Amino acid sequence: MDLWTDFTRKFQAAFVTGDRWKLYLGGLLSTLELTVFALALGTVLGVIVAVLRSAHDQQRLGQHNPILAVLNAVCKVYTTVIRGTPMLVQLLIWRFVILPTVRDYTLVGALGLGINSGAYVAEIVRGGLMSVDAGQSEAGRSLGLGYLDTMRFIIIPQAFKNILPSLGNEFITLLKDTSLVSAIGGAELVYYAQSVGSRTYEVMFPYIGIAILYLIVVMFLTWLQGRLERRLRQSDRRS
Amino acid sequence: MIVVRELCKSFGDHLVLDHINDHIRPGEKVVVIGPSGSGKSTFLRCLNLLETPTSGSISFDGLEITRPKTDIDAVRRKMGMVFQHFNLFPNMTIRRNITLAPVRTGLLTAAEADKAADALLARVGLGDKAEAYPAQLSGGHKQRIAIVRALAMKPEVMLFDEPTSALDPEMVGEVLDVMRELAEEGMTMVVVTHEMGFAREVGTRVLFMDEGKILEQNSPAELFGNPNSERLKSFLAKVL
Repeated sequence: MDLWTDFTRKFQAAFVTGDRWKLYLGGLLSTLELTVFALALGTVLGVIVAVLRSAHDQQRLGQHNPILAVLNAVCKVYTTVIRGTPMLVQLLIWRFVILPTVRDYTLVGALGLGINSGAYVAEIVRGGLMSVDAGQSEAGRSLGLGYLDTMRFIIIPQAFKNILPSLGNEFITLLKDTSLVSAIGGAELVYYAQSVGSRTYEVMFPYIGIAILYLIVVMFLTWLQGRLERRLRQSDRRS
Repeated sequence: MIVVRELCKSFGDHLVLDHINDHIRPGEKVVVIGPSGSGKSTFLRCLNLLETPTSGSISFDGLEITRPKTDIDAVRRKMGMVFQHFNLFPNMTIRRNITLAPVRTGLLTAAEADKAADALLARVGLGDKAEAYPAQLSGGHKQRIAIVRALAMKPEVMLFDEPTSALDPEMVGEVLDVMRELAEEGMTMVVVTHEMGFAREVGTRVLFMDEGKILEQNSPAELFGNPNSERLKSFLAKVL
């Protein structure tokens, strides 16, 4: 019986007293906002980098566009640096070295996450573009379509279908990585769990509570991803 | 129409095309035969610059297309190409496969392209497949549609890269029939093929290639009837 009262007391302290559940809800909301912002930034950056790099690699022999060469080099440095250093270190550098005067730490975190995610998305997208049979691009070009039209209507839609599973994984990773933003003072789910814990001197309930919240969101995203994949497989039907 | 001068192509150290010269005139049906690895597909793919020549020049209607400044997209709009593996776009319906290029390049409006697609599909007996996806079709159907897709751009010349080599034997005929009709309508054609019957019947000129060179060329009757070189004799003995 003692155990049970202890349990309910701690549960109350963690979630009910002073409407603390609202803190978690607010934290979840800002975690989701953070994810969506970083996702958008990461996807835009990733696609641009991937298209630039494949455009550079697919130039007609003997033709070298110097602008493309410079951009390709910039993209390479970007992916190398971002993928070669820990996420947490990057966030610390954004917060304390590059943007020390910006007070909106959540925004700084979102920026850091988005730029980090872009490097991974770029490699995923580039792999996807390469996974589409070379004959597809040849067929598009042989019809007189330009490089960009061929990419837009023929290659990217097929690549997207191929990379959806890895892209989904990347997005799920991103959602979980938003927890690192708490280390630079960004107000998201972990931040609120910590602040509740420091007030009640009890951390088990807040931390397990937010773990469950993350899990629910990830399960929802996984379900959504499965649906989208089924939808995109429509053109594979043979009946 | 297409003038090829001293065309060379190498992949690394390997010389695939060795100083090729040829002149393809309007209305000709040039059939290119030869053993595998002889460079015949590479030769065809150089004509619309899917392969970039290492040296030499290619002119199309008087325009030197091998110059880096040439708008190759504009040239390709006038050269249809049909591939061994069809290369239909699996993410689009048949209708969209056909109408995409004419609409995007401004050749036709969407409505005109739709009409053209229906007419072309009806012509090859596939009028009911417009809304199907490529994965739902047989190889023979796919290749007929690939031909129609190229024709929708109203090309001046059609390039065929082993169009029947990936087909089940029973489907070869239907594709060759479409090509035969196209030839009868006066289309200029360059065909790389192993179908000697087709070469003999439809070709106006046959090129025999081996080791990157055009070893012999002649009318089909002469080339198949009186082969000059030992190499061609032994090739024909194996394939006929």
